[in-house]
Amino acid sequence: MESEFSVFGKSFIRKDAIEKAKGEVKYIADIQLPRMLHAKFLRSPYAHAKITSIDTSKAEAMPGVKCVLTHQNVPKVHPLRKFEYLLDENVHFPGEEVAAVAALTPRIAEAALKLIDVKYQVLPAVVDPEEAIKPTAPLAQEGYDTNIFHGTDLVHIPRLEKDHWLRLEVGDIDKGFVEADEVIEAEFGWTPVQYNCSPKPRTVVCEWAGDKLTCWADTQLPLFVWQDLAATLAVPQAKIRVIANTAVGGYGGKMPERIATLAAIMAKRTGRPVRAAFSRAEDLIATHHRISYKNTHRVGVKKDGTMTALYNKILAHWGKDTTVPYICQGTGLTGSVMLYGCPNVKSETCGILTNTVGYGPMNGFGDPEVIYTLERLMDSAAEKINMDPVAFRLKNCMRYGNRAMEYEQVLYGPIKWGILGSDLNSFPELIEKCAEKAGWKEKWKGWRTPMATKGQKKTGIGMAIGMHHTSFWPSSAVVKMNQDGSANVLSMAVEMGQGYGTIISQIVAETLGLRYEDVNPTLSDTGATPTSRGNVASSGTSSPANSARLAAEDVRRQLFELAAPRLNATVDALEAKDGSIRVKGTDRKISIASLCFANWQITGHANNPPYDSIKDEKTGQVIHAYAAAVSIAEVEVDTETGVVDLLRLTSGHDCGRAINPVLIENQIDLGLVMANGWVRTEKYVIDEKTGVVMNPNLIDYKLSTFLDMPRSDDFQRFYVEKPCAWGPFGAKGMSETAMTAVGPAIANAVYNAVGARIYDGFLSPDNILKSMKKEKKR
Amino acid sequence: MPDIILRINGAQVEVKAVATATLAEVLREELGLTGTKMMCNEGECGACTVLINGKPMLSCMTLAIDAQNKDILTIEGLADPVTGQLHPIQKAFVEHSGMQCGVCTPGMILTAKALIDDNPKPTEEDVRRALAGNLCRCGNYRRIAECVLDAAQKMRTGEKDGK
Repeated sequence: MESEFSVFGKSFIRKDAIEKAKGEVKYIADIQLPRMLHAKFLRSPYAHAKITSIDTSKAEAMPGVKCVLTHQNVPKVHPLRKFEYLLDENVHFPGEEVAAVAALTPRIAEAALKLIDVKYQVLPAVVDPEEAIKPTAPLAQEGYDTNIFHGTDLVHIPRLEKDHWLRLEVGDIDKGFVEADEVIEAEFGWTPVQYNCSPKPRTVVCEWAGDKLTCWADTQLPLFVWQDLAATLAVPQAKIRVIANTAVGGYGGKMPERIATLAAIMAKRTGRPVRAAFSRAEDLIATHHRISYKNTHRVGVKKDGTMTALYNKILAHWGKDTTVPYICQGTGLTGSVMLYGCPNVKSETCGILTNTVGYGPMNGFGDPEVIYTLERLMDSAAEKINMDPVAFRLKNCMRYGNRAMEYEQVLYGPIKWGILGSDLNSFPELIEKCAEKAGWKEKWKGWRTPMATKGQKKTGIGMAIGMHHTSFWPSSAVVKMNQDGSANVLSMAVEMGQGYGTIISQIVAETLGLRYEDVNPTLSDTGATPTSRGNVASSGTSSPANSARLAAEDVRRQLFELAAPRLNATVDALEAKDGSIRVKGTDRKISIASLCFANWQITGHANNPPYDSIKDEKTGQVIHAYAAAVSIAEVEVDTETGVVDLLRLTSGHDCGRAINPVLIENQIDLGLVMANGWVRTEKYVIDEKTGVVMNPNLIDYKLSTFLDMPRSDDFQRFYVEKPCAWGPFGAKGMSETAMTAVGPAIANAVYNAVGARIYDGFLSPDNILKSMKKEKKR
Repeated sequence: MPDIILRINGAQVEVKAVATATLAEVLREELGLTGTKMMCNEGECGACTVLINGKPMLSCMTLAIDAQNKDILTIEGLADPVTGQLHPIQKAFVEHSGMQCGVCTPGMILTAKALIDDNPKPTEEDVRRALAGNLCRCGNYRRIAECVLDAAQKMRTGEKDGK
């Protein structure tokens, strides 16, 4: 079928492909400035301590050292939205920054760190979140009278209840459980902490010129870095330029945190540019990781598979972080209520502070951590009533018209229920297609029956569904026409590998009837691009890229007005196509280049419309946008060793409409591989007593490699297209959804193979063997 | 500090560096050849791979002084120096989007070159094994294998066409 689009929906070559293939792309870590200093950080060896004295005199006297910062000589201020100080006299996890040194070379800076003499008064610490919630536990943070987060003056969560829990309820859960024929309940172990492991550890370069600061920051949220710098340094945002135009994979975790501000202070005091870059080990012990949940689920079902009630309790481990995790939990609560259309649901959660590094946002942002366990319980529920797991999901999955809400309402209220758009009817289609592609009917032999047994090796198949929101936020974009008829699209959002610069260009080119190569993005420069929040919460497509579409429409309107008198036509009769403004259905046209050559001031601007302005055509209710995922995994388990081989993965996704098919497949692959690592290979090991990370390197912290994933024939992913009411040309954010169903699908496949449920978070050989032993004893 | 003489991408360069300086450090910090990317700086990820006498080596684990008198190929030396024409492997990565954030890309491309030079007709399994030491946090493994196989195929048929 001929597409109605000429640029949208095609796999154009990435805007940054050639520079990346040639190694010419300049990441922040590649920036070299004349007279640039290098900063390194001294870190706390203790989980909780008070610094009683710091002597930096020897370090300062070392040749080549230009600046030393400690809590004694930096402003005692909170970076925005954070409870902690820039540098604190109290440290709250092993690895927290205690001092910073800027020197001529990284080697000198590192040597100088060793000359700083710090005396600590070690304070009682708590590392285990389940210990931390006991009334007798030591307090992990100053300023709190309990380790359950309860808000502060800086961080106010209005919907937090008196007992410090956050709740979301729909229908009548008691009635729902009474109606059920069977009630199934399970408590699962803590979901694994995962290190986001951006290919580039946190890096910033700061340089002052007079009273103006430029900060090149490797971040997915230049807006937040900009706000933090301005608030902490007390400099107007107008004088601070944060540039993040070549960020490197953030996966939800990439705020440069306090290093941007510390580097800016050192640059100011020395009058020289400063680069601050974490080593891999520092990045691994001192930047925040994926939030960890301990979930209890209870579900009521009728014999025919109808779900009547669902209860979810989510304990969330925050480590030392005191802000962002709540938003993850808002997401988790929303996800737990919205994955299934069950009419009676109650979910509740609290956040626990301990003395580990902060745990918070990472790819999936609170949803995968609840879906991972919920989908294992759903498997148990289907088994209890002896129903095929595919049929059970088809019967209960969320679809068009079901109740829905916006996840930040869980935190800030008021809760306003709306509905899901018709795009969420992709669930049934995805489940059926995925089952067909995976050969489910032939392979599924029934409950507790493996696919095959060969000696000590058993193979099994399992499935799960997942979803995640796509965010619709205030954001703004500018499209600037050039004299030759080419266009630049200006957006503060970030290209960090996902392909944002490519898709925003495709959207603008499509709207203006330009060629893809005639549109180029100018991104993530707070001094030059209109504001948007950044690329988090799968918002890039539906928020900043959508405002770019509207900005291009603004340009198109101006072009029409210029062209109309020349073409002797009304504006309504015109279209933008093939580089020209044309009278529809005729060959009367004028080239966009000639219009722009004569009128070189053409610039379009637009803001994203308000969230609640997108309404369902049929019902008039506010539409909430979510994306769906279905994964089916096949595994071989060695019943003697517990080792799992992932044989085959089939995964279906929805994306509204595909802007660039190849980029979508790449983002799906990212989610699938990252999820496999999360539940199977990436064990983050912390010493239970001291809180010290035991494996701060990539040999012992194991990312999935080529060999951990199935070969192409056995690694199948696909997507379906159902236009979303929100995004540009029906597209929506889908990247984070990609990982949500994989973990539980693998866990359910392991169960099918070995007949023992694994309730632990990590699907490691020892946990699998342990569960098998327990099952035998039963 | 000793003078170190290196032969990089066919040209001889002299640099002053401490004896403990790694090749990666010298390439990036002294010579500005920042196409060699780094993820870990401790020999775990493969991102900083360069070819030394045709073999893939981790430049973060190689002392610069040990790389003297050897042919070093970095990503900057792969495209045709005169025409700027991309190497077929680079071309495949560009055309099929074999990268996302791009940090692992130069290391992947150079490791793949060593593989194809050694084995012009690799299978997917050959590619997976050859590249198993190169980590890609963006999870692009399936696509990267596709790119390498496509490049190998084009390099074989390209030779036949006399290109």
